[in-house]
Amino acid sequence: MAYRIAIDTGGTFTDAVVADEAGALTIGKAPTNPAKSFEGVSGAVADAARQLGLDFADLLARSEIFIYGTTRATNAIVTGRTAKTAALFTEGFPDILVYRQGGKFNAHRLEVEYPDPYIPRSLTYEIPERIGAEGGVVKPLDEAAARRVLERLKARKVEAIAVCLLWSIANPVHEVRLGALIEEMLPGVAYTLSHRLNPILREYPRASSTAIDASLKPLMQAHMRELESELRAAGYRGDILVSASVGGVMNVKDVIERPIFMVKSGPAMAPVAGLSFAQNESLGGDVIVVDTGGTTFDVTLVQNSQVRFTRETWLGEQYTGHNIGMGSVDIRSIGAGGGSIAWIDSGGLLHVGPQSAGAKPGPVCYGQGGTEPTVTDAAVVLGYIDPKNFLGGRMTLDAAAAERALEALGKALGLGAKDAALAVFTVANEVMIKAIHEITIKEGVNPAEAALVAGGGAAGLNILPIARALDVKRVLMPRAAGAFSACGAHFSNIVTEYGASRVAYSNQFDFAGVNGTLAALDARLDEFQHGLATKDFSRYERHYFVEARYMNQNWELEVPLRKGRVETKAELDVLVEDFHNVHDRMFAVRDPYNPVECTNWKARLTAYLGHRAPPSLRSAAVGSSGAPRSRTAYFGETRAAAMSTQVLAGGEIAAGTVIKGPAIIEEPTTTLVVYPGMSARVTARGDYLVEL
Amino acid sequence: MNDPTMIPNTSFDPVLLAVISNRFDAIVREMTNTLLRAARSAVLAVARDFSCSISTADGRLLATAEGVPVHVFGSQLQAASLLEMHPERQEGDAYLHNDPYLGNSHPADQTVLVPVFFEGEHLFTAVAKAHQADCGNSIPTTYHAAAKDVYEEGSLIFPCVLVQRDFKDNEDIIRMCRKRIRVPDQWYGDYLAAIGAARIAERRMKELTAKYGRETIKAFVEAWFDYSERRTVNAIRKLPKGRLFNKTSHDPVPGILPDGIPLQVSIEVDPDSAMIDVDLRENIDCVPCGLNESMACTMANVMIGVFNSLEWDIPHNSGTFRRIRVHLRENCVVGIPKFPHSCSVATTNVGDRLVNMTQAAFAKISDGHGLAEGNTCLSAGCAVVSGDDARRANGAYINQMFLMSGGGPASSKSDGWVNYLLPVAGGLLYRDSVELDEQKYPIHVRSQRLVPDSGGAGRQRGSPGTEVVYGPRNNRMRVVIQPDGCINPPQGVQGGHAGRPASNWWIDKDGSKHQIVGLVDVSLTPGQNVVGVDGGGGGYGDPLTRDPSRVLKDVRERWVTRGTAESVYGVVLSGEAEAETLAIDMAATERRRAEIEQAARA
Repeated sequence: MAYRIAIDTGGTFTDAVVADEAGALTIGKAPTNPAKSFEGVSGAVADAARQLGLDFADLLARSEIFIYGTTRATNAIVTGRTAKTAALFTEGFPDILVYRQGGKFNAHRLEVEYPDPYIPRSLTYEIPERIGAEGGVVKPLDEAAARRVLERLKARKVEAIAVCLLWSIANPVHEVRLGALIEEMLPGVAYTLSHRLNPILREYPRASSTAIDASLKPLMQAHMRELESELRAAGYRGDILVSASVGGVMNVKDVIERPIFMVKSGPAMAPVAGLSFAQNESLGGDVIVVDTGGTTFDVTLVQNSQVRFTRETWLGEQYTGHNIGMGSVDIRSIGAGGGSIAWIDSGGLLHVGPQSAGAKPGPVCYGQGGTEPTVTDAAVVLGYIDPKNFLGGRMTLDAAAAERALEALGKALGLGAKDAALAVFTVANEVMIKAIHEITIKEGVNPAEAALVAGGGAAGLNILPIARALDVKRVLMPRAAGAFSACGAHFSNIVTEYGASRVAYSNQFDFAGVNGTLAALDARLDEFQHGLATKDFSRYERHYFVEARYMNQNWELEVPLRKGRVETKAELDVLVEDFHNVHDRMFAVRDPYNPVECTNWKARLTAYLGHRAPPSLRSAAVGSSGAPRSRTAYFGETRAAAMSTQVLAGGEIAAGTVIKGPAIIEEPTTTLVVYPGMSARVTARGDYLVEL
Repeated sequence: MNDPTMIPNTSFDPVLLAVISNRFDAIVREMTNTLLRAARSAVLAVARDFSCSISTADGRLLATAEGVPVHVFGSQLQAASLLEMHPERQEGDAYLHNDPYLGNSHPADQTVLVPVFFEGEHLFTAVAKAHQADCGNSIPTTYHAAAKDVYEEGSLIFPCVLVQRDFKDNEDIIRMCRKRIRVPDQWYGDYLAAIGAARIAERRMKELTAKYGRETIKAFVEAWFDYSERRTVNAIRKLPKGRLFNKTSHDPVPGILPDGIPLQVSIEVDPDSAMIDVDLRENIDCVPCGLNESMACTMANVMIGVFNSLEWDIPHNSGTFRRIRVHLRENCVVGIPKFPHSCSVATTNVGDRLVNMTQAAFAKISDGHGLAEGNTCLSAGCAVVSGDDARRANGAYINQMFLMSGGGPASSKSDGWVNYLLPVAGGLLYRDSVELDEQKYPIHVRSQRLVPDSGGAGRQRGSPGTEVVYGPRNNRMRVVIQPDGCINPPQGVQGGHAGRPASNWWIDKDGSKHQIVGLVDVSLTPGQNVVGVDGGGGGYGDPLTRDPSRVLKDVRERWVTRGTAESVYGVVLSGEAEAETLAIDMAATERRRAEIEQAARA
């Protein structure tokens, strides 16, 4: 039997999801060891192997695809452990990374420090040269000066170099030459040229992605090579693929060349998982996917069976973080999760998050020194989490401590502990509702017409009231919700995308120029596709997009092309009408009097990995025996009422069973709370579907 | 209701209060996103020089999210004028309002007001206010500082005029604007973006009211104002009782105001009644140029100065405003302008001085309060440029650039914010992309960089300013802006030093550099360039008490030169930055600091 293995290495746990030929999934988990990452990988795979009655080496030897996702790139950036990286910018413009795009969230918050640039000014060098807005050489590259700068980088033992020159997207000649000089003078030092990595207009996002990419190269290249050699040494002979920020998987070799795609490597798989689970239940092509962990709540959107992309992805907060500047899955991440802290401001208003108790000290009920009440504590107080059976019994919680913490919080609100716990959920729900609102209603998508798929260990605690508030009609929580991203990798495909800028106006459309650009993109995809010949892919698909705006607007909207070329006036008219419609949906107005300005053209290739039967979680004995159980849990709008609540162990419930709320379904890696008046149905594949 | 104990601790469910207030902020953010993405001119779509807000139908400011304070604190006056002037208003209406004598900030800030009806009752007014690239002034700038009155200023003024009925444009108004505003297609696109923003808000507020019910929403509004007031009361009660006084002066304007504009403020803080009284009545009469404050701007700018000195996360709305009384008089340069005095430049310049003067007054309480002063100069890096673009069949263009940064003021706890721009903007505006500006307009930017040592020294340092150099491509280009802060730079507080003054220059083809004093209005030919240097922010606290490790970082990161580190901060370093051996010489630093202190005493 040939298995497929997907890994998601998180900050605390490494998940392995193993699929057999029938598509049945097995989840393995092991603690992540940041110092020795393969330990977590092998531990998780071994855990899954045990459940399959195999040993570790056996499983690897019998597997054909290994997909790797990791937060390592993101963590390296967040903790400042990337390579010592220098920036080379056009003379006169050393402060691109300091300035960013401007803006901040609160005008009156002036007691905060301005954030440091991604690359320090002390490692930023100016290169005498200048290309003009139409690609002309305004000032030739001063090679002697460039060589002097590179000598200094050598002396300073720089490990990576980011090169971003103004208008290199219109004429890359100077960037190309600098690349050659780096190879000549600093052989072996990693570097990234902005026009090759991310040929977009606007110097900040381009410089930022170039800087991030270069800084990740030494670390991620070493990491991926190490993983590859460990896997080979352990007897694995199949393909190694990597989960990428584009919501697909990439070959190791491509990721090594462009490691920026490993930023958000894990979370980008969540919408892929959500879409697949939704398709299993025929829930339609519009899906809101949420992934609730300990500290963050991630929301992504699938529209017409397509995962939503964005160019505005920030590491850290918008404005003050670092813009990835690359197309990536549109993930809205907010600081809300099981570990989010509840607190009261000086005016008496209750807030939840964004501060989190994290894994250490964690919620009060963990008994590891946490003193501030969290969402998890509230869940314990309300009886949603069984303190004796947390994470499938891996951990025992201190319910009395949670109760005391909520009691203290309640005093300030004039509420008892139970009511305060309820209020914590109400506020946390609201924060999450707002995050979902941002990506749906604000983007012209009505949640009432979409399905919601909930993943992540903490999602099931409150997803149903959130869905109800948003008027969502159908909610699906997969049994495998606790290893959501790794599941997504199983349903993903090889995705690659190239873009090029070419301006074209709808009133004097340059058909030849645009089609030439699209043909050039196709040629690059051909080359890429050719490189994939090692594997049998069931099929290939190409999608084309244009980024367009009304004449003189500044921000483009992405509009899918009906086909890969724009050849006739009629086809152009369709394109223009498609643009009007997208604009109207987003901004409530259309402008019939002005031409449409097309700026960037993109081509995306998807190589389908040939998925097997629809996925489902292998049934495994879980928790205590099948005897019916119940406990007291608390529900209500504003006042908590005690209710006798049915408790069921997941995996033991027959398909088609309808579970009436109040009920709690305990899975080994997650919990679903079915609120009073709602009911969940166990689907044919063992997942939980709630219709509201 | 001066006794804070009189504020009803409302019975409104506190959880629902948080829920609904978040919804209103989300609606304002959605308006903002709509306007930003749909607008045409870079001043709106790139720099975000616009703001959205929601007022109650009776003219109380309810929600502002990340609105620029000088735009939104006062938008409720416009909502109130709608009530007064249009008893016949109905669903589907939109009103165009840019009248500074009727509650608007300044004429360039064209505002779209949409009354939001629910079951026939006007409940809220959605307000989208956007600084136009052009507003029909007699010269190509939206800041006509030299205009002796509104007639010379020349802007089209709309005193809350019906511009849409039944969701359709009144084509007469549109045609009027197209005849009088430069680059009319750009204007119309920007107008559409504002309409879209207000209409989006209208949809959302109707949904929200339908969801919770009209009575709940009305009760929420009162409870939210009370909550905001309560937060303000608590913050004021933490301040010591007393009177604060401060002065400043706008730079002289050659030919118009040779002595500049002297300004003063008197602030009475009374923690017992939890009130702050700000008195501006002792200031001079309106001046015969475009630098007068509108009433909305006067109120907004002193409020900004006060709020900058209170807890940052207090919601700012009409509930908060109940605790701050601003005393104004008619025909005062910072008060209620007397028609036909011009308020063309009301949002910046004197407005920035009001913010600075107020927040720096609070710093007089003691170390830990208030802020230093921030950059007050819109330099040539933020000029309005216009001309014809040879690349586009000599089509006309006009737009305000946002290529500067503007040194932010130091607080008692942090160094100044880099992208501060101006006190009235508080860092909320975005920057232009050099590439985008060069693509859209026929300009070529030579350089853009932070100026070391320009931030005012202090225990906390002001942010440095930026120097920008640019010129036209193929045709002549006109560059207009009214700078301040070139003679009277942003002051430091509590022993902090002033930021470096701003300056503007033009460079001829032969490389010779000429300073431009006062109003910048130059017409450049290809090969000539203009240089804008904005000011550094003021410092907070004595620079000799700055943590030497922060000075080390400043030198390594080129915010401060090594010479200044020694002579001003008294921090002596050893080693070389390029060799990565820069380090603090502690013994020499202690000696140097003692010497400087001694010299200061002598």
